[in-house]
Amino acid sequence: MSEHLSYVGKRMPKPDLAGKVTGEAKYTEDLVIPGMLEGRILRSPHAHALIKSIDISKAKALPGVVCVLTHKDCPEQKFSRSTMAEALPEFAFSGERQDQYILSEKARYVGDWIAAVAAEDIYAAERALELIEVEYEVLPAVLDPFSAMAKDAPKVHDDVKANVAFEMDHPFNTGDVDKAFAEADAVAEFSGVNSRQKHLHLETDAAIAYFEADSRLVIVSPSQGPHLAKKHLTRRVFTDLDDGDIRWISPTIGGGFGARLALGVEPVAVLLARASKRPVRVTSTREEDFSGYSSRTDQHQTIRVAATKDGKLLAVEQKIVSDAGAYLSHSATTSIVNMQKTLGLLRCDNIRGHLTVAYTNTPTTSGFRGYGNPEGAFVFQQALDRLAEKIGMDPMEFRLRNLKQVGDPSCFVPSVLEHTKLEECIRLGAERFGWSQKWTGWGEKREGRYRRGVGMSILTHASGAGGFLLEHSSAVMKVLSDGTLNLIVSPCEMGQGILGALAQVGAESSGLRYEQVRVTTGDTDVTMFDIGSHASRSMLVIGNAVAAAGAKVKDQIKALAVAKFELRQVSATAEQIDVREGRVFLTDNPKIGFDVREIAYDAIYNFGAEGGQIVATGSYLSTSHHPNHQAAFAEVEVDTETGQVTVARYVVAHDIGRAINPLLVEAQLEGSAVQGIGFALTEDFVIDPVSGEVLSDSLLTYRLPTTMDVPDMDNLLVEDPLPAGPYGAKGVGEAGLVNPAPSIANAVYDAVGIRIHSLPMSADKVLWALRHGDQAAKGSSRVSGQHL
Amino acid sequence: MARQIGSFKINGRVREAIIEPQMLLVDVIREKIGLTGTKRACASGNCGACTVLVEGLPVCSCLTLAITAQNKDIRTVEGLRAADGELHPLQQAFIDHCASQCGFCTAGMLMSATALLEANPRPTRDDVNRGLSGNVCRCTGYVKIVDAVLDAAQKIVAAREVTA
Ligand code: FES
Ligand code: FES
Repeated sequence: MSEHLSYVGKRMPKPDLAGKVTGEAKYTEDLVIPGMLEGRILRSPHAHALIKSIDISKAKALPGVVCVLTHKDCPEQKFSRSTMAEALPEFAFSGERQDQYILSEKARYVGDWIAAVAAEDIYAAERALELIEVEYEVLPAVLDPFSAMAKDAPKVHDDVKANVAFEMDHPFNTGDVDKAFAEADAVAEFSGVNSRQKHLHLETDAAIAYFEADSRLVIVSPSQGPHLAKKHLTRRVFTDLDDGDIRWISPTIGGGFGARLALGVEPVAVLLARASKRPVRVTSTREEDFSGYSSRTDQHQTIRVAATKDGKLLAVEQKIVSDAGAYLSHSATTSIVNMQKTLGLLRCDNIRGHLTVAYTNTPTTSGFRGYGNPEGAFVFQQALDRLAEKIGMDPMEFRLRNLKQVGDPSCFVPSVLEHTKLEECIRLGAERFGWSQKWTGWGEKREGRYRRGVGMSILTHASGAGGFLLEHSSAVMKVLSDGTLNLIVSPCEMGQGILGALAQVGAESSGLRYEQVRVTTGDTDVTMFDIGSHASRSMLVIGNAVAAAGAKVKDQIKALAVAKFELRQVSATAEQIDVREGRVFLTDNPKIGFDVREIAYDAIYNFGAEGGQIVATGSYLSTSHHPNHQAAFAEVEVDTETGQVTVARYVVAHDIGRAINPLLVEAQLEGSAVQGIGFALTEDFVIDPVSGEVLSDSLLTYRLPTTMDVPDMDNLLVEDPLPAGPYGAKGVGEAGLVNPAPSIANAVYDAVGIRIHSLPMSADKVLWALRHGDQAAKGSSRVSGQHL
Repeated sequence: MARQIGSFKINGRVREAIIEPQMLLVDVIREKIGLTGTKRACASGNCGACTVLVEGLPVCSCLTLAITAQNKDIRTVEGLRAADGELHPLQQAFIDHCASQCGFCTAGMLMSATALLEANPRPTRDDVNRGLSGNVCRCTGYVKIVDAVLDAAQKIVAAREVTA
């Protein structure tokens, strides 16, 4: 019997959109709490400086100013903007160094937070910032990780030797790598570094803190993980408070992409609210978001690969040097994930990885969609192409020969790969793209001003980090008297569409109507514990929790239906009854039945009835990371006179398990692909090498893709249900950002025979390499000495 | 600087607010009038999130001094739906095509698209791409936005033909 599905697999509209197209959706900055003060932060103009003294008297005297705070007013414990320490096992703690105060005692980057002001209006708050007098003693600064680790370099943190914030060997190094390289038929190497891509969520950072009855603290902010943030804030920062003393509300979020996983201005809002005993809203400008918030971590890498002449991958070696910026935040963990994904993508017996993360006097970096995977893929997928070229093999064929199969160790060793459709993705994508016609072999010389080329790339990514993070979640369901399903779940709504997909799972599993699902989220007093929206985890982990709750609701409805059928002179056991799309009916005679409302109404409003409202909870604990996979094919055109690279065609095939809502999956794939194209070609985070100032601090100088940069795209789904997924689903949110840069880089090489070693592959770099040859580029990879 | 009472015709209704000469239209619309559907994302004219229509033309309200917009016809996203509450075809198409994710660019996109369709009721895909190239969206990758605008254009034209 084929499975009947009412909603799963359908292109349903997502529920949050009604408020977004009418302007009714409320974001943090749209909310006004009576009596609310405006908070602003004073930021350091120096990359590295001691604070000799701060005179706040003039600022305090300004009419309208309520309080001015400095380092002296902050809690004494250090904390990390990353909240992940609370979700990790003990052994991973060293990657979560607690290394900063809310307001700094010493300026460690241009933009570091020095003082905070709360005033009656924004104009007074801004004026007060100008009146704070700080006497700095400027210190020599280190602005890149290699000079930071050099002998006698200035120290960013006094207690950290040689500015090495974190160092580790890949925990699952294996085999005899040196022997494998020595014996291989071919060896290739590629070095490169990604740029500090900015999340560029359009909503700039903001937070409101206020007290409700009983002096209980309420925080409103665009957090991607308010439960964990609350725990972190009470455990590491305001240690006089505990988990129950804070209610954290994430309203509609104007984009996250990983940035909201770290704390933003929330601690400052709390500090000011506690000092002023008034509600406080702290806001930031776009320029401040550029220099003082977070970005992707720049990871300098060298990857060496070795193979036999018939294309068996023998060894992979990866060395990473990451630039954390002034504070560690997520930079160590994203670099670890880079190693996991890079070294774990293909079948290979000899792997070795090493990672060093250095502090510099530059803005703090953080987790960004893909979380290390796009950083690694840009380098690794080019190294693979170089190796394929050396053995004269089609790069697609080379990858196909080395794919992991079910039962192999997975990229999250020591677990085992239980499901993969990567091969199907490659074949399907190649067919749609026309790879076999478009790929014409290595070393083909092309002529003319505009030259076309093709390239490909593959990836594996997690659907949650079961076994590593606290991957459990719970959902609550209440059925109202009209058959409405109140679904209470934890993921935050930052645009990813997860609430729609969960509503579909909720309606499908309970048998209620999708149109009558009302989803509540974002309030820690209402939702159950959950570690937040990241790691492409929500669909799998929370989806399973919702399906579990739905099954219980359905059982309750069936049990209550027995008596209702009896009233109609129909005798049936619960097993003979089913519920679908809001209707209760007999399985073997679907015509006999009635609307679920009758039961839902009676459960609440019938005085004589036993029991009460239909309510259920469902929980799920994920113990694996259930990888999703993807293959991508790019065709580019290079203008050899200007260096401009245009992506003409981009085809993706994604191993989704099952698409709960193909429309939402496509939306995720399209959005992440275009972010990936920006990462590949235009988005350049430029720090002045002398002053440490961020030079690309506006949308004029930091170029995001627009409608004019979107290629002809196809996003194909390979559907083969994952047994552990809700209705077979895997995650999809992040993967799409991984493949664009490497597939475009490989296509640029196919078109014009040059490889660019640093992102973005902007026109100026391409033109320079075209004129001078990429081997002649000035400077060299500081990891290996290879030319950039 | 002289405070004054400013008079604004927003979405067909006259609204008054105490303004100062340096105040920007986006702040008056959001903070003084309380229409928070209009967003500010860069405050420098580079993203289009704050787009509203003044006398039918799209402007960045973050670059417009509020005093210059007094007594002019201003339209914001809150004024798009019909008097009976029915969604504008563009709003409906944005829902149907999933053309909004986080929604922060959506008000600006809808207003730019409204102006575009009023000027050019039968745009090609390229026309829409060009018309919206000043509106940044970080989430969607634009494909579904352009799909939605083309779909709405067709429906608006078809509805007009029926009435004609
Ligand atoms: S906020 Fe006005 S253009 Fe960006
Ligand atoms: S939907 Fe998020 S910026 Fe467009």
